[in-house]
Amino acid sequence: MKIMDTDSDVALSNYGLYDLESDLELFLPNTVIKFHRISDNAFSYFRKNSEGKIIEKIIPVKSQNLKIELAPIRPLNHPARRTSHMFLQFDKEIYLSENSAASIFVHCPIEIGIFLVHDSSHDSLDWITCNPLNSRFGLYGSPDTGTLCKYAKVSLATDYSDSNSYLEGVMQIIVENTLSFGQSISKIVFQITDNSFYYQNSKTIIDGIKITMKKRAAVNIADVKTTVLETDWPMSPTWEDKTASTHMEMGLE
Amino acid sequence: MILELLQSLSEMQLVGELTVLSLLIGGIIMAGGVIIAKIAKLLFHKYYAPSLPKDTAQNISKLIYFGILIISFLGFTSSQGIDLSGIMVAGGIFAVVIGFATQSVVSNLISGLFLIVEKPAKHGDTIELPDMGVSGTLLDIGTFSSKVRKFDGTVTRIPNEKFFTSNIRSLTLSTVRRADATVGISYESDVDTAISVMKNEILQTMPFILQIPEPEFRIDELGDSSVNIHVFVWHPRDDWSNAQPILLNTLKRALDKSGIEIPFPQRVIWSGKD
Repeated sequence: MKIMDTDSDVALSNYGLYDLESDLELFLPNTVIKFHRISDNAFSYFRKNSEGKIIEKIIPVKSQNLKIELAPIRPLNHPARRTSHMFLQFDKEIYLSENSAASIFVHCPIEIGIFLVHDSSHDSLDWITCNPLNSRFGLYGSPDTGTLCKYAKVSLATDYSDSNSYLEGVMQIIVENTLSFGQSISKIVFQITDNSFYYQNSKTIIDGIKITMKKRAAVNIADVKTTVLETDWPMSPTWEDKTASTHMEMGLE
Repeated sequence: MILELLQSLSEMQLVGELTVLSLLIGGIIMAGGVIIAKIAKLLFHKYYAPSLPKDTAQNISKLIYFGILIISFLGFTSSQGIDLSGIMVAGGIFAVVIGFATQSVVSNLISGLFLIVEKPAKHGDTIELPDMGVSGTLLDIGTFSSKVRKFDGTVTRIPNEKFFTSNIRSLTLSTVRRADATVGISYESDVDTAISVMKNEILQTMPFILQIPEPEFRIDELGDSSVNIHVFVWHPRDDWSNAQPILLNTLKRALDKSGIEIPFPQRVIWSGKD
């Protein structure tokens, strides 16, 4: 199934593997990605996004069997990688009465990773976000002891098929209230590096979360654990942040 | 030939039992110790230090360096047949004299040790010493002094005693920091509208500003010419340069877009005839 970009009337590229033999163009919402073979052993990479930002790279290659993988990744890189925690603020509160449980689906923002695949290894090449305005930071707790998180206001989803292409994936949250009174939930904070992402065409689903509200000694807490999703959708590779660096060897003094 | 040379050197006595040969051997031990210490320090910095926290790496590096030097010195003294116990007895009296003479040096040394133990700031932290008017990145807590690289790139050396006894404001201890700015709008402008447009502009165009806690707006003063609004925003601690320097520009842009006036100071002057 092809999705059209509303601004430019081009068919958007699905997630997945693409052979990199000569030239390759990929289209995402407000973003164009181009690979061009400049010699037998090198490609050029060009990416322009909606903010007019241009990234250009030269990719020297050894292997002739090259592929590009386009896949959803954790939303931790825009505007800069500062944390591994995610803070999802629900647009509606969820109320759970005493000793009850519920299963809900929520949207979770994503970024898109571009990987160079060769000899069964994945090299992180670049990442983009198609919705930079929903990619911000938030603090859970007080300024002196709180946890810095990526923050997003999210809506509830109907099921796994309710993913917003290129923008948001869907994750299942199982909430269990073992307390002796009703409790509302309006936000969750969790370490998203524990959750894997899976894709099909332009859709994304994410490992779920189980929240258990319970009493520990005199304190009421919400215990958050990751639940692994069983699906036949391909799992996204893990994005590794690789910053450019220079290195200098010095002789012994 | 060489054996004869060594034989003659061993027979050349300088003071008491001390011969030229033993002094030569002692010198070789000390020189070897210094070289080994430097190589060990270099190898540690190259292969192990990058995987450790900066301050731990610096402390281990110093421990390795001075540890090897002390072992070399002990080797040197034993090669010369020097009995350290005698020196220690005589040194007791001498230490009192030296202690008075080198009071500030010892004070700096002890303060340096306390700084390493207490860790009011670590290597690489951004700190401010308000008493001394110094702010910048802490480069090193040395044996007698500490070094701070100021934001203009120059490095200031501060004696450890002064560093230890002064107020230290850490700018990197908290996860987040707050930036602020004051902007004035005319009395004719609607304050709520001004706050709303400024808030929207901040949240849309400044990606490093935290959404939670939200930007905060306080009416600071009903000034002579304007209603002054104080704006507070939070940002990740390492992103000061993406917040504070561009905050005022963002606020002005928001007010300009909405046609809200930022007034000049105004004076109404009445002459005597009027």
